[in-house]
Amino acid sequence: MTDVSNLADNKYTAGFNTVTETEDFEPGLTEDTVKRLSALKNEPEWVTEFRLKAFAHLQTIKEPTWAHVSYAPIDYQALSYYSAPKFRNKDEIPQEILETFDKLGVPLHERDALLGIEKKDPNIIPTVAVDVVFDSVSIATTFQKELKKHGIIFCSISEAIQEHPELVKEYLGSVIPVKDNYFACLNSAVFTDGTFCYIPKGVKCPMELNTYFRINARNTGQFERTLIIADADSYVSYLEGCTAPAYDENTLHAAVVELVTHDRAEIKYSTVQNWYPGDENGVGGVLNFVTKRGLCKGESSKISWTQVETGSAVTWKYPSCILRGDNSVGEFYSVAVTKGKQQADTGTKMLHVGKNTKSTIISKGISFGDSSNTYRGQVRIGKTATNSRNYTQCDSLMLDNSKAITIPVVSQHNNSSIVEHEASAGKLSEEALYYLQSRGLDEENAVSLVVNGFCKDVFQKLPLEFAAEANQLLNVTLEGAVG
Amino acid sequence: MLVTQEFTVKVDGNTILNDLTLEYGPGIHVIMGPNGVGKSTFAHALMGNPNYDTEGAVEFYGKDLLAMETYERARAGLFISFQTPTPIEGLSNFQFIRQAMVSLNKNNNIKENLSNFRQSATDLGLGSEWDKKQLNLEASGGEKKKNELIQLEMLDPKLAILDEPDSGLDIDAIKILVEKLRAFVDKGDKTLIIVSHYAELITKLNPDTLTILDKQGNAKQTEDIQIAYDILENGFNG
Repeated sequence: MTDVSNLADNKYTAGFNTVTETEDFEPGLTEDTVKRLSALKNEPEWVTEFRLKAFAHLQTIKEPTWAHVSYAPIDYQALSYYSAPKFRNKDEIPQEILETFDKLGVPLHERDALLGIEKKDPNIIPTVAVDVVFDSVSIATTFQKELKKHGIIFCSISEAIQEHPELVKEYLGSVIPVKDNYFACLNSAVFTDGTFCYIPKGVKCPMELNTYFRINARNTGQFERTLIIADADSYVSYLEGCTAPAYDENTLHAAVVELVTHDRAEIKYSTVQNWYPGDENGVGGVLNFVTKRGLCKGESSKISWTQVETGSAVTWKYPSCILRGDNSVGEFYSVAVTKGKQQADTGTKMLHVGKNTKSTIISKGISFGDSSNTYRGQVRIGKTATNSRNYTQCDSLMLDNSKAITIPVVSQHNNSSIVEHEASAGKLSEEALYYLQSRGLDEENAVSLVVNGFCKDVFQKLPLEFAAEANQLLNVTLEGAVG
Repeated sequence: MLVTQEFTVKVDGNTILNDLTLEYGPGIHVIMGPNGVGKSTFAHALMGNPNYDTEGAVEFYGKDLLAMETYERARAGLFISFQTPTPIEGLSNFQFIRQAMVSLNKNNNIKENLSNFRQSATDLGLGSEWDKKQLNLEASGGEKKKNELIQLEMLDPKLAILDEPDSGLDIDAIKILVEKLRAFVDKGDKTLIIVSHYAELITKLNPDTLTILDKQGNAKQTEDIQIAYDILENGFNG
């Protein structure tokens, strides 16, 4: 019954797949697919309408082509839009799926989560609560009760639509409208699951909230949707991790993440993206086409994006901030590593609307082999955003035949604001590697030290547990990257 | 023990060092020569710098040095100091030493190592925060030299080639340098090769042998240290 076969090459350790009974849609995308999906999830009419509106608009638009990436055309009719593991008994996660997450180091049971924590004080509650999404559905969310004591809602978006429709209705699509872009529009039509968080007024979320996305099914798109709302004077640190099996075909992942902060609230959103990158010849891998945007709605609110991107065959992703509230703050810290035939086109947009708004962008691109790594950034300081500031720093480090491209766009529409931009691009220094090797470090360790040092500013922004994981992931990624 | 036989070093086909047959056993040795004769080349070619092509044979404690990768040479106990050590962003001095000590299979006790590191930095007047500073970044020439000396102390090689360790140091620092070099050799069975023009240093170290490199890339090794003092007084053509 349980067969966790290892399809992975030796570098990508999460590349196995899980054999489990599933409920799937036949491939194909029509209005009927959208209706069936909505009906299956027993959604209220306004959600069905939201989806249908998106589907109708999707028929009138085309995939964007401006990014520095190339991939074989996606046959949207050949994809399945729903795949969910069958629970043999209700409320009992199949053993093979438990084993999958165990293998990936994601604690599904609260007890297991607790075991991973050094308990110095019995009154200290665990540090991480997890929502786990397997293909099209959320299969478990831990510590919900504990969080509920603080008034925090942490559940799958499907559950939120049922249990908290007024909240979802107010915010869904409020930051990323249905018509925003092709992939966001597609997601709006066919999103299957994802995470919903609401932090009430004045509450500092006592633990890190974590969503772990796992793609397992072949030829199935994953379209998850995340919505996080931080009410006035609240704080939350949210982490996102993901992996996928090593299949020969590309797997489409088109997610939408919307964040909203009210007055003086703060959301710290961290991602360690480790989707399957494809093999050394560029066969297979995840197409990671993601729209992430945060709205600093309230005054003095803050949204901070930190991302470590090592996976995916193609990445198209620009976590952005709309700084609408006066004195609001947006941050973007990114490490993007590409090797082999990987292509990344990633960056951010900082849209300053409110007065005295401040944004910081630190982007570190590292490319090996034949990969290409593009930073694309847009800073717009509007007329109303007086006395605003942006600081941008983009550095790239290259090795082999890789390409690094930096495309920063700045537009400033008032005279009282200041925009600063610093950039550097360089080859990984042979001299530095020689120096380190002369002190006994082998080439791989030497490269790792140089690259880790290069990324330090960004790694420092990650929550502690995540920083160690990111570091380890980076080292695994670097293994074999040096020829 | 380092023995070179007909050791030739070329860069882009040009011979820099020609047929060197030299022997360095435990003790202190000095290499002298006019500017540009390849004293630094000698050190880096032995360390395995990829910019140099080598011919001949080099035996290092019974091993074929030239067959080894740079990091293997370090692990075999060879150390060279750099004239201009490479800066590495985001890597702290102590993190670097820690990684190097792990690679070299040295004492792995972080607490002890940190305390020794700080002591060494304090001795050299580098301040108490030196362990946290980024490697060779925003450091003066003299500070970088001192940092190389800390590495010599911490990494404790069998044989060290120090390339003008005195340059950029003031009189007081040179005094400490001499003490530290003495202490290194006094551990026993250590070989120290110093490239220097500095009379004071050579006098104080009282070397066992002197190697003179000439512009043709040839070398002469002698135990007659008096020659060194003559050169210091009269120059290489005297």
